Amino acid sequence: MTEAPRPLDGLKVLDFTHVLAGPFATRVLGDMGADVVKINSVSRAAAANDPAHPYYLMWNRNKRALALDMSNPQSRPVCRALCEQADVVIDNFSVGVLDRWGVGYDIISQTNPGVIYVQMSGMGEGGPWSKYVTYAPTIHALAGLTHLTGVPGREDIGIGFSYNDHQAGLHGAVAILAALAARHRSGRGQRVDVSQFEVGVNFAGPALLDLFANGNLARPCGNDLPYDQAAPHNVYPCIPKSPAGYKGNEGNDGVENIEQQRWIAIACMTDEHWQALKTVMGSPPWADANQLDTAAGRLDNQAELDVRIGAWTQEFEAYELMALCQQAGVPAGVVQDGVDLVENDPQLAAAGFFEKLEDVHESLGQTWVDHLPIKFSRTPCEQYQRVRALGEDNEAVLADWLAMDDTTIAAAQDQGVLQ
Amino acid sequence: MSQASSASVGDTQTQSTDGALADVRVLDLTDERGIYGAKLLADLGADVVRPEPLEGDPLRQRGPHHEVAGSAATSLWFAFFASNRRFFALDPDATQGLAQLRQLAQRAHIILTCDAAFGVAQLDLEQLQDQRPELVVINTSSFGPSGPWRNYLAPDLVAGALGGAVATTGDTDTPPLKGFGELNFMVCGAYAAIAALAALFSARQTGAGQRADVSVHESIASCLEQVLMFYWYADRLMRPSRVLPRQGATHWSNAYTVMPGKNGSIMVTPTPDFDNQLAWLIEEDAHGDLIEPKYMDPENLPLRVQRTMELLREWVAEKDVQTLFHEAQSRHCPYGWVLPIEHVADNPQLDARQWYQPYQIGAAEITSPGAPYNFTHTPWRLKPHGESGADTEQVLADIGWGAQS
Repeated sequence: MTEAPRPLDGLKVLDFTHVLAGPFATRVLGDMGADVVKINSVSRAAAANDPAHPYYLMWNRNKRALALDMSNPQSRPVCRALCEQADVVIDNFSVGVLDRWGVGYDIISQTNPGVIYVQMSGMGEGGPWSKYVTYAPTIHALAGLTHLTGVPGREDIGIGFSYNDHQAGLHGAVAILAALAARHRSGRGQRVDVSQFEVGVNFAGPALLDLFANGNLARPCGNDLPYDQAAPHNVYPCIPKSPAGYKGNEGNDGVENIEQQRWIAIACMTDEHWQALKTVMGSPPWADANQLDTAAGRLDNQAELDVRIGAWTQEFEAYELMALCQQAGVPAGVVQDGVDLVENDPQLAAAGFFEKLEDVHESLGQTWVDHLPIKFSRTPCEQYQRVRALGEDNEAVLADWLAMDDTTIAAAQDQGVLQ
Repeated sequence: MSQASSASVGDTQTQSTDGALADVRVLDLTDERGIYGAKLLADLGADVVRPEPLEGDPLRQRGPHHEVAGSAATSLWFAFFASNRRFFALDPDATQGLAQLRQLAQRAHIILTCDAAFGVAQLDLEQLQDQRPELVVINTSSFGPSGPWRNYLAPDLVAGALGGAVATTGDTDTPPLKGFGELNFMVCGAYAAIAALAALFSARQTGAGQRADVSVHESIASCLEQVLMFYWYADRLMRPSRVLPRQGATHWSNAYTVMPGKNGSIMVTPTPDFDNQLAWLIEEDAHGDLIEPKYMDPENLPLRVQRTMELLREWVAEKDVQTLFHEAQSRHCPYGWVLPIEHVADNPQLDARQWYQPYQIGAAEITSPGAPYNFTHTPWRLKPHGESGADTEQVLADIGWGAQS
């Protein structure tokens, strides 16, 4: 691996996180050069915490793997020594686990006053729900994101992926970097309590202000803007992905095969966008109606407008139509799925966004990465190491962080500490 | 004209606040794509100055608004996204305005920009970075500085469509859907804050700042959970396809979904401990045939998931959702009550943590969402939110403008 400088070079992160939110926070730090040591163990390496599981493979590149059996009391001194060397200790256990292991913030900060502890729990420390068990769908439901994302009259749609897990990870990274900035000024570390629930509620900020200030209750509004006037502002059907799909657009079982559907998003944010769209459509007579000249008028006629535009878009191949619209100054974009992102997206291809890693571990198999979406000019973060197998970096981490020699490491291995 | 001294990294002679970033000065030249990143820095205590046109920031037109008799309507959207800023009205095309903008840039540790946002074209940022190599400049754009789509227009809906978020959201009987509000731009905003703080960390270590580009498109594509996992690892997941079309609230594992109860909806899942859920169903004689040996075979896990969800749907239909939610959580089952906004606003967990904060917006004090994180030593806080150009005189004094005029 080349050793070009990265912005977080020299930063030591001890990572006790699992599943998505916590590992995503440390993935970002690792991508930017932090030495992230991920703690795992034989007993915990199951399901999404198994290094061979695709879920684990997605969020744990650019980290080093240390196996540490925390159920073995002889592991505690090693864990404590690691915490005393760390700039950042991060976990998403229930509150108090690190304290019970003797490596909580109050203990470690006595000898490592600059250390930053981040706990990313579902509900945060304290409160009647603090011990509630949450995954992203739980948080989406409780934070109002499920209720708000959908169409009027439905509350069983919500966001189709674990948005809040990613965002909790990103906010965890922001918190760590801010705490490092504060440490630069004061020389002192601190604890940061990240409640994934509160991260999620934060995303409804304007809607909550509207409720508190005006008493208005936000409700799902499909692809409309909830507060501003923009029309057309929706997704519209295009020619399906394959001719077979186009013939009735049904699968073999008679059920509509939505995998074959093609959609394009069109968002006229201004009257100029609308005028440009009219031109792209060939200025059909219906579009020249005076009431459509303003956003308010278009919203008044939104249902009809959507039907007419949909009738027009369905005659086009989606990428071709997007190009036509964009060339005319109309905001439009193909509704892309995973295959599109990897195979059909020339922008991501030009950016080199995806990478098939050459280094293949025999038990983990071939792995891929999507690159950090930040391009630093002086410290580019273009170094991607594959996920490491359980305990693959035991010797290197213990030597680098604790200056342990081979004999001491072997003794720890014999004691069952490093598994 | 006296020149304000240039900022040096780590300079502590700045407006005092209690936040983690109290010694950091930021110039905010963002639009919708980057404004959330500037908010994150401002709410963490950075002194963030946001210049705006003499006629007012166009983002002040974004709804919802709050109207107080006798005064102009205030944008609550802007109050949320432009919290903790100091607002400075100027004309960057006039000699004086441009000089003021340059002086603001001279004293900043971090400049956040978006392509074509107010004031960006008038500042020669490359020259500024040559003069001040410790400066950090973070630019957020829809597609990055190069590539075939670099000039495409992409408001939040279009960005979400191209980035992959829209395709996964919605149900089989709806079109693909965007998330409510600005969820796509809040992802790249978070990345912009990360880029700024990471570059600041590096600058404080090395003395060298830099520019970083944040792509909205790439940011969204990086936060799609199962989407890329399915593409790359469908075989290992024993999936028939590399794409999972939208399927409402049903999780990609099929083991989480929203079900209707007697008086509302609830997100129900038998994970992470299927046996725990089964024991509960047995207690209530709602387990159906789930105790048959075929469901215990690990190879039949998909069948067990399917049957469990069928039985749960029947069982949940007769339940009071609030009672069910708390009962589930007492049994360590991660159910989630689908809360409408009014119940999010009146929530015992948030109340206990004193999460909501008073927020002075113009003449009104309004309850506001609080912080996404709690720091033990550097508290997060909301300062009063001002009107257009509210802090112009104070900012002019800070940059030494008063001394020379």
